[in-house]
Amino acid sequence: MIKDKISSQEVIDLVSSKAQVSKRVSEDFLKVMISTIEESLLAGELVKIKNFGTFKLQWNEPRKSVNVHSGEDILLAGYYKVTFTPDVILKDLVNEPFAHLMPVELDSENPEPEQEKTNVILDPLRIFNDQASEIKDLLSEIQSLSPKEEVTVNTPVFVPTPVEPIHDETDYADYLLQKELVKKPIEQEPKEALPEEKEVAEQIFEKEIVEDITPVEDADYKNEEVSSVSSFDTVEDVKLLPAEEVENNNNSVESPLPADNSDVEFDSSEFLKEIHPRRVLRFWIKILAVLLFLLVTFSGFYLFYPPVRNFTASTALGLKSSVLKTSEKVSMTEMFNTVSNWFTPKQKPTPIPVRKVVIAPKDTTYNDSVAGKIAVKVDSLQLMFDKKRVYKTFIATETVKPNGRLTIMAKRYYGSKDFWVYIYEANKDRIPDPDRISEGTQIRIPKLDPRLIDPANPRCIKKARELHDVYVKKEN
Amino acid sequence: MNHKELIASMAAKLNAPKSVVADLLDTTVTTCTELLVENKTIGFQSFGNFEIRKKEERLSVHPSTQVRTLIPPKLVVNFKQSNILKEKLKDLPHHD
Repeated sequence: MIKDKISSQEVIDLVSSKAQVSKRVSEDFLKVMISTIEESLLAGELVKIKNFGTFKLQWNEPRKSVNVHSGEDILLAGYYKVTFTPDVILKDLVNEPFAHLMPVELDSENPEPEQEKTNVILDPLRIFNDQASEIKDLLSEIQSLSPKEEVTVNTPVFVPTPVEPIHDETDYADYLLQKELVKKPIEQEPKEALPEEKEVAEQIFEKEIVEDITPVEDADYKNEEVSSVSSFDTVEDVKLLPAEEVENNNNSVESPLPADNSDVEFDSSEFLKEIHPRRVLRFWIKILAVLLFLLVTFSGFYLFYPPVRNFTASTALGLKSSVLKTSEKVSMTEMFNTVSNWFTPKQKPTPIPVRKVVIAPKDTTYNDSVAGKIAVKVDSLQLMFDKKRVYKTFIATETVKPNGRLTIMAKRYYGSKDFWVYIYEANKDRIPDPDRISEGTQIRIPKLDPRLIDPANPRCIKKARELHDVYVKKEN
Repeated sequence: MNHKELIASMAAKLNAPKSVVADLLDTTVTTCTELLVENKTIGFQSFGNFEIRKKEERLSVHPSTQVRTLIPPKLVVNFKQSNILKEKLKDLPHHD
C-alpha cells in the first residue's frame, strides 16, 4: 500500500477549512501546539491530549555494541526518546479493519500435529514389522517346544498373538474367548466343540448355513452375510486394520484345526496324546504360521499398493459364482481345504477377493460391517452397470408430443434427465435419432432397477452420462 | 500536563480564549485521526511522524500454562520523533 505522507502544511489547510478559520490562525495554532508539547516534554512532563494519546519521554539506557567494521566494543550513550501511546479511541478507530479478529486459543495437543501425522503413516508399517518378528518368534518357539508342552501347544501359540495393543476391554474379551475356544476342542469331544466353533465368526460355517437355507443365486445378499459375519463388534482404528485382520484370521485358522484333526482321522480326544498326531499338529501349526505370514504380506501389499487392490476388486466380481460353488461343499475336510485356500493368496477360485473388497474402504473410523455393506453395494452397482440391460417390462407408453424429448420423459419417470439413455435403449428400434424424435412415436418407458436410476447416486449419473456420450457420438 | 493544562498554556501563548483553542485542538485531533485511519502518514516538521503500522499475526505461548494463543494482526499508530526533536532531547540531562 502506498503511504501518502501528509505534511504539516496540509494539516494546517485541512484544519482551517474544517474549523472555518483562516490558514494563518490554524498555522499559528499548530506551531504553538507543537512547541507547547515540546516544552512540556523537555520539562520532563508527559502530555496528554484527549481522544488522541499521550506523549511521554522515555530514557533509553546506554548500551554496549560492536563496531561492525573494526570489531571494537563501543558504548552507545543513553538518550531520551519521545513515545506516543495512542488513546483507546484512536487505537480502535485505526484498527477497525481487523477489529473483528479475536485471539484464538489453540489446543494444548496441537504442538506436535506433524508428529502425529507421521505416526499415522508409519503405524501400519510398524505393526506389519512387529507381526513379522512375532511370527518368527512363534516359529522358533514351536520348534523349541518339548513334547510334554506340545499337548497344550495351542495356548502358547496364541500368547504372542496380541501384537496389536489391546485397547478396549471388548477386544481383550474377544481374545480370551478365542483362547478358551481353542482349548475346548482339545479337551472335549470334537462333536461338542463343533457348534461352538460356528459361533466364533467362522465365515465358512455361516456361509454354508446361509447356503442351506437359501440356495439362491443372489450374490449380493450372500456377500453381505459374509461381511457382517466377519465384522467385529468394536470400531477399530484404521491403523489397527492389519493387526485386526490377523487376529480374525487366527481365529478362523485355529478353530477348524483341532476339529479337522480329530474328525478326519480318529474322532477321539485320547488320540491327541499319541505321538503321531503331535507331529501332525506341529506340522499344521507350522503351515498355519507360514500361511499367516503370507496373508500378512499380501494384506500389506493390498493396503499399500493400489494396483493389487484394483485387481482383487475386479476379480471379486467375476468370481462370485465360483464362491457359491466352493461354499456348497459341506464336508469338513473340504471345508478345511477352502480355509487353507483362503490363505494362499494366488489361488483364484476362492473367496479371498470378496474378503478383500470388504476390507477395502479403510477411510475414517473403521467399522467392518458398515464398510462391508458399502463395498458390496458399490460392487453390485458396478455389476449392474456391466450387465447387459434387457427391457421386458414397461411402466408406461408415451406418445411423443410436438417438441417432445426423451430427457423430459426421463425426468418425469426416473427423476433425472440423465437417464434418458435407458429409454432410448429400450426404444432403439423406433428412434433413429435420439436428438430428434418424431412426433407421434410411441415410446415405451422401461421398468428399471431403482438402484440403477438413483438420482442421488453420482455413480448412476456418471454411468448414464457415459452412455449418453456413446449414443450421441454414434449419431454424429 | 493533561488536556486542560495544555489548552490553558496554549491559550496563554496565543492570546485567545480557551474555548476557541479547545475547538481548534479538537478539530486538529479529529483531522489527524481521519488521516491516520486512511492509512496516511502525518509528518510534523521538527516534531515527528505519525504513521500506521501493521503488526502481523503471531503465536504467543503463555510461559507458565503453555497455552498457545494466536494473536490476530492489528494496525497500530506509531510515532517517530524527528531528528530535530532528538537533538533537543540530547541536551536534557539524565537524572536517576
